[in-house]
Amino acid sequence: MDELLKIENLSVGIKSPAGKVQAVRDVSLELHPGEVLAIVGESGCGKSMLCKTIMKLLPKSAKIESGKIIANGVDITNYSDKDMRRLRGKLFSMIFQDPMTALNPTIPIGKQIAEAILVHEPKLPKEEVYNRVIALMELVGIQQPHERYKLYPYNFSGGMRQRSMMAIALAANPKVLLADEPTTALDVTIQAQILDLLKEIQTKLGTATILVSHDLGVVARCADRVAIMYAGKIVEIGTAEEVYYDPRHPYTWGLMQSLPALNKGAKELKTIPGMPPTLIDPPVGDAFACRNEYALEIDYHEQPPMFKITDTHYAATWLLDPRAPKVESPMGGKRNV
Amino acid sequence: MKKNPFVYYGKKALVFLLSVFILSVAVFYISRLAPGDPLMSYYGERVEKMSVEEKEAARDKLGLNDPIHIQYIRWVENAAKGDFGISFKYKQDVMEVIGQRIGFTLILGGIGFVLTFVGALLLGVLCAWYEDKWVDRILCKGGTLLSCIPEFWLSLVLILVFAVTLHWLPSSGAYDIGYKDDVLNRIEHLILPLIIVVLQHLWYYAYMIRNKLLEETRADYVLLGKSKGLSKKEIMFKHCLRNILPSYISIMAISVPHVVGGTYIVETVFSYPGIGALSYESARYHDYNLLMVLCMMTSILVIFCNLIGQIINEKIDPRIKANEVVETSEVTKV
Repeated sequence: MDELLKIENLSVGIKSPAGKVQAVRDVSLELHPGEVLAIVGESGCGKSMLCKTIMKLLPKSAKIESGKIIANGVDITNYSDKDMRRLRGKLFSMIFQDPMTALNPTIPIGKQIAEAILVHEPKLPKEEVYNRVIALMELVGIQQPHERYKLYPYNFSGGMRQRSMMAIALAANPKVLLADEPTTALDVTIQAQILDLLKEIQTKLGTATILVSHDLGVVARCADRVAIMYAGKIVEIGTAEEVYYDPRHPYTWGLMQSLPALNKGAKELKTIPGMPPTLIDPPVGDAFACRNEYALEIDYHEQPPMFKITDTHYAATWLLDPRAPKVESPMGGKRNV
Repeated sequence: MKKNPFVYYGKKALVFLLSVFILSVAVFYISRLAPGDPLMSYYGERVEKMSVEEKEAARDKLGLNDPIHIQYIRWVENAAKGDFGISFKYKQDVMEVIGQRIGFTLILGGIGFVLTFVGALLLGVLCAWYEDKWVDRILCKGGTLLSCIPEFWLSLVLILVFAVTLHWLPSSGAYDIGYKDDVLNRIEHLILPLIIVVLQHLWYYAYMIRNKLLEETRADYVLLGKSKGLSKKEIMFKHCLRNILPSYISIMAISVPHVVGGTYIVETVFSYPGIGALSYESARYHDYNLLMVLCMMTSILVIFCNLIGQIINEKIDPRIKANEVVETSEVTKV
């Protein structure tokens, strides 16, 4: 068993007044030690939900409906909150989207980091804890940690707070780090710094990381593997190289085409027409069909299975079926079907 | 953002004095313009047998025939010297009359306030802990129902049950005749009024605590706490409760007059000899000087507590402190 985390056919539903929202639908993926897996998709596609499901931080209205979460070879799908507490922070921890609200405003930063250490090692002597906190603050690039130990979150800028949050997440040496859009709330220059830091720490500590983002460009600089999520499902997954240079799913094409960097010289930025479907009553067929200019008749009736392209590269689109008409990828790239 | 403390507190003091002045004028005019005969309280039943001339002479003697603004100025002049006049009814210096009574109110109001404060905190935390479980639901429904019952009615029911039917507790007064120094006897007399004073406000503040706590438990930092591996207990007490306590304390500062005001009605119903019952009497019998001082005392307490609450509120906003920290240390830049 060499994967740290394995998710099998996971589905999560959220009860809402309008009906049940199918936030995560039949997702399977695995995470190997030391790798960075990026999950990319537009807002509301279920990527944050997926992270929170793994951590079991779901709101009361949400429930795992089927599937399994296997961490370190142990099935934790039905773990109680008490069982999960031992794993949180230690086996996996999470970096949240908005560093402005995710830190407790009334407790000094140093204490909040120390707390994350003490949870798992309550008998550690005070000095030892202090030294560990200082080391963590240095690790995430907070300068003058001794002076800043006593400062409150409101003394910190957004980037510094996100660094503090990383220190908290790394406090108990987790094996898996879930970064839920860690740069979305930051401005662009800080985004790059934080991503570089994430990658740097990841290489230094060898922490396996799931990086959630809505921006293919952002994850390009640090992901080993990329999973594209749409309407609660993973539609394409592969190594970064495969997904960036040889994308197969029309949705991935759309995402790529709408990257500003690939639209240089064009008068208008390409966009994907339409809106994602609501997940309260998801369509019978491929959820992307109605926005897909390459949609086939069968897309409206039946969901495409995951087609294998290479050992590591899979995509869920009927275009990969041998019976489908050959479509030239608008991205160019090699085709070998 | 740095404020000069002299200007800051000077402004507050000015607001305070102005409010007190306006209030004193209002109370003075209203009490004298209200229908009724102040001579009733001075002479009692004898007033009915007095001739018109005698009444006129009595009024002259008490200075009640001058225009109200002259009376007011005279009152202010005397008050400045520390002379608040005599009570018409008790024929004693007003301050002496109040001095005999105020201790009772301080005990009832003080204990009531502390019990309300602590009880509301405990109840609020209990409800938030068991959010939407049966404990929470029963307390919420019961509390709302209870706070809708008028206190005078509830007082009467309690008197009926515990004093009249069961004979467990006395129905009125602060002690039985002859038991003035008996602490147990005094406590017995305090129980029923205390229950009413506490019940009146308990749920209001408990519900406030409950909602504030629930709001906190939905904050993002709670998720971060959970993802650290903290237990519900640690998150609730070390993080959430800690964050709402400062605002609760400032709310309680504002609520002092609220709770004290509640004791006034309770005192009247239970004939408890505090200043609440006294102010009711003085208003009823047109005992102008007594009423004036009691009103001023109460209103000064109200205004003062509101100001204190305001100041605490402004002081605990951490961002005000944050600016001072930035000025003193240069370590906050990225």
